[in-house]
Amino acid sequence: MNDWRYDPAHDLGLQTNQRHRSTLRESDLTSSVLRLGWLMTVRTILKCWNRLEIHGLENLPAQPPFVIVANHSSHLDTVVLASALSLRWRDHVSPLAAGDYFFATPPLAGFSAVILNALPIWRDRRHGQRHELGDLRERLMNQSAIYIVFPEGSRSRDGQLHEFRPGFATLVAGTAIPVLPCHLSGSFAAMPPDANAVRPRKIILQIGTPLTFETVANRAEGWRQVAAVIRDKIVALSACELPSRKFHPRHWGEKLLLIARFSRLLLRRRLRSLAGFGGTFRSQGCCWKFELGGRPLSQPMSGKVLSINTSSASADKVTVK
Amino acid sequence: MNSATWQQLFGWRTAFDHPVTVGAVTGILAALAIAPLAIHALSRFNVISPKLHEELWLRWKSWLWLTAVMVGPILLGAAWVMIAVAVLSWFCFQEFARATGLFREFPIIAVVMVGIFALLIANVDHCDRMYFSLAALTSGVIAVVTLPENRPQGYLQRVALGIVGFLLFGYSIGYLGLMANDSRYRPLLILVLLSVELNDIFAFCVGKFFGSRRLLSNISPGKTVVGSVGALVLTTGLVIWMGKSIFAGTAMENYFSLLKLGLLISLLGQLGDLILSAIKRDIGVKDLGVCIAGHGGWLDRFDSLVLVPPAVYHFLSYELGPLGQDQAARIFTGG
Repeated sequence: MNDWRYDPAHDLGLQTNQRHRSTLRESDLTSSVLRLGWLMTVRTILKCWNRLEIHGLENLPAQPPFVIVANHSSHLDTVVLASALSLRWRDHVSPLAAGDYFFATPPLAGFSAVILNALPIWRDRRHGQRHELGDLRERLMNQSAIYIVFPEGSRSRDGQLHEFRPGFATLVAGTAIPVLPCHLSGSFAAMPPDANAVRPRKIILQIGTPLTFETVANRAEGWRQVAAVIRDKIVALSACELPSRKFHPRHWGEKLLLIARFSRLLLRRRLRSLAGFGGTFRSQGCCWKFELGGRPLSQPMSGKVLSINTSSASADKVTVK
Repeated sequence: MNSATWQQLFGWRTAFDHPVTVGAVTGILAALAIAPLAIHALSRFNVISPKLHEELWLRWKSWLWLTAVMVGPILLGAAWVMIAVAVLSWFCFQEFARATGLFREFPIIAVVMVGIFALLIANVDHCDRMYFSLAALTSGVIAVVTLPENRPQGYLQRVALGIVGFLLFGYSIGYLGLMANDSRYRPLLILVLLSVELNDIFAFCVGKFFGSRRLLSNISPGKTVVGSVGALVLTTGLVIWMGKSIFAGTAMENYFSLLKLGLLISLLGQLGDLILSAIKRDIGVKDLGVCIAGHGGWLDRFDSLVLVPPAVYHFLSYELGPLGQDQAARIFTGG
């Protein structure tokens, strides 16, 4: 009979705020359930509002640990990448986030830690924190973690891919941990750095084939080599042509999605031109023709919208001069 | 729900109807007011070191909000006591789970969470039978819930930890909520909480000044035999003094019954303290948490409370008849 072995929480003895900022943090049932709700909500919103399209899911390893490296131009990038993964892995997925931004205040640190499961990287040495990449590397190898890394260091202000900071490569250099280069397009248009709301722009995520850097030395020159290889892969992903996807609404979720998109388009058309409901609705390879209301498309009503009764959201309440 | 039941659960206007409640609350507030002056005076005359001075300040500040958290619900009404007890149970169990590593077993944690919630429902509904049945039912579910994982390694350990955690911190502490169904719940709960907390202080002070022989040196090197006996005597005296007023006109009024109650509270209070010390030594941690400055975690503060409530409840029920029998039972479920 073996002796009982206790394995206390690695963050035992830390105050709540310290725990949120610690790389030793472990998930408990409450945070796991909250994270599940968050990811399910975000997934639904991204699918409906941003028509999220994911290519290359077959490239995901069967089990953690692995590292996802992507271009970064929007706050949406983290949630898009996290929502592409299986919900079973929700407690393993940790975006590496700027400590001075995402962990600046206790409420923000709480959100980043509990909901996003983010781990802090301190960019500012004056903050009194040292880079904790060594601890993160250890955590990656020992706790089956999945890291989401944006090596550009910050969000791109012009939507273009910038140079990578090679420091992140210390996480994987000299290990057999797979690295997945990913490319995100559309997230900049959906939510650029100066925006406060998410626009309904299409987002496409491309997941590349996994790379390993077992033979690369865990030194500065090795890190630069890793960063260059991964950057090249992401550039190649951004250039490759995507296969067109057919949209066949078979399941109830897809049908609901179709109805939501149709309603949105209908409302937009109605407000733009009061000639009547009619037009074509294109979505992912399919074309839907529709005409409602009896007003022919060829005779649009000319005029100017003066006011809209938003409380009823009814097109009949639109006043036209 | 009739007005009497409503008053029992939410009636804060009757908070100071009993003289013991008035006296105890006044005494606690006076002690909290005098404490900083005493700390300042001791520091001024170099009786205590600056480090101890700092620690005493921290403890005093913590006691300010701890008193509000403990006495507030008692004054507001029985329903608030039950909710506060359920929250305390959950916090204590969480600390235990984090210290032992049980918190990684999500199914067991979920069952214990549901179990503590069910205890709260049983308390609010005043359904004693449901409350008593939950010990066996929850233990059974804890034993079953991880079977589908098909992982026999460590089965006994995780199930045992889950059951011990639930029984000590959910079921046992939950008896305080059950006591809140009695019409004398305010003075009764104040008696239990005050005597248990003072029992710790008595043991510490008497041991510090007169004690040298260790009680159980491997489990808790700081506790002495003299401190333990001193706490037994002083706490029993306190219980007899307060109990005379609380149980006036009942079968518990006689000194012998009050003596038994006092000994029970003091003895089980000290044993609860030792149980948690043994758990901490076994795991190899000094404190189980850090949320109460100067004290440690919830369990470090309320460790003495773990064994007392069920013993007091059943002792009083034996002496006086079932506690809460003068109140409406199964308030929401009927029957």
